Amino acid sequence: MPEKDEVEIRQKLSRAAQLLLFKHHREPGARRWELRRALGRNYEDVIKALDAELEKLGLTVKVVKEGDSESDRFVVTFRGHPEFSEVRTFGWRIDDMAILTMTLATILARGGKVAGKEIEKILEEKFPKWRVESAIDRFIRMGYLQEDEKGVLYLGWRTRAEVDEKTLLSLLLGKEKKEETR
Amino acid sequence: MKVKEKREIIERIIDLCESVRSRGLDPFDVQVKELLEKLRELFPELKKLEELYLDMRAVSGLADVILHQSEWLRHRSSVLYLDPLLITLKMQVMEPAELAEIFTKCWHPILEMESISPSVLRTGLDYWTELPPLSERGAELGGMELQTGRITEEELREMGILSEEEFSRILEEEWKKMLQNVGKRGISYWKWVCAKTFEETVRRSWIMSFLISYGYVDVEVRPLEEDIIIRPRSKPAQEAEPRTLVIPITYEEWRKHARKG
Repeated sequence: MPEKDEVEIRQKLSRAAQLLLFKHHREPGARRWELRRALGRNYEDVIKALDAELEKLGLTVKVVKEGDSESDRFVVTFRGHPEFSEVRTFGWRIDDMAILTMTLATILARGGKVAGKEIEKILEEKFPKWRVESAIDRFIRMGYLQEDEKGVLYLGWRTRAEVDEKTLLSLLLGKEKKEETR
Repeated sequence: MKVKEKREIIERIIDLCESVRSRGLDPFDVQVKELLEKLRELFPELKKLEELYLDMRAVSGLADVILHQSEWLRHRSSVLYLDPLLITLKMQVMEPAELAEIFTKCWHPILEMESISPSVLRTGLDYWTELPPLSERGAELGGMELQTGRITEEELREMGILSEEEFSRILEEEWKKMLQNVGKRGISYWKWVCAKTFEETVRRSWIMSFLISYGYVDVEVRPLEEDIIIRPRSKPAQEAEPRTLVIPITYEEWRKHARKG
């Protein structure tokens, strides 16, 4: 490979890493059109090369489908999952994680959507009302949940990027999956 | 059949279709074939544009229900289908820590790093150079009248004044204390919140406002006696029609009630 080409590829790889790892907007990652504009026609090859580099660090590039394909969101996530003991240092509360687990599982088990009031009723049997309300609002803001004008909850873009839905349901039913840790 | 009755039937069909879409009602609970037959019978009698528009909405709603039925079937035949009741029951008996651990095992968090860009630095520099010196802003800083405002529980948490655990603990303690000391007979609002200091009174009334909002305490206003009675509920409940009750806590008001003892 000529030296000039190699330099160009390295430059594109660093640009792709910057685009995906650093927050440019309110939400992480970059859209397909942004990558195409910044990296050129062969942006998918650059992303594949970046993914191979990230694999060495236990990370991967994930594509989250959103409406038309140009709006697809590319993000970098953990390849495996973090250790439970470490998650406590990520700034998450145990109760919040439990609330999110119950909400996501309920939505998944009911075909992808549930009325917000119904979810709150289920959660309030286990957690105080004020905690449930504030947690749901926060998860909507973070992108784990999506709410329509009628108050119906759906899975948000962040859940589709970060959560392995099949594993979640299998683990809840006690069907342990072969674990893959970071 | 009267025009009004026809309209009612069509509107009921529209509402039913809407509840499948918005409230997640089982789409197979809707008897699509029968309702289409009903619409077919009514159609020749529809004359006005408005009636035809309603008919169109009902047919479109039923088409939407069929779409939901198809999605429902696809979901049920997929590997992700599990009995929702079974899942709910399973989760109800699990400890929060167990649920959190399950979440961790299927969670692949996104990596995101905050960064500062040249344009943000430029904006910061512009702001700083355009900011008038303190001497010019003296009046603005020192002479401004303080306005009262509202502060939310979330803002207090963000400011580090109150943590979520601490807040929950305070509310629960106050509720239990009330249940133990007052019981179902209730107590005058001022008798309960009035403390030795004004600050403590404000704090107690603030806690009480949350207990009332979350349905842990019931409020009865007695206008003739000019009193407000608060009663702890054994189980939190929401009022069918939420209402707003404003109780100003001023220094003078506190002194008046504190003197009464």
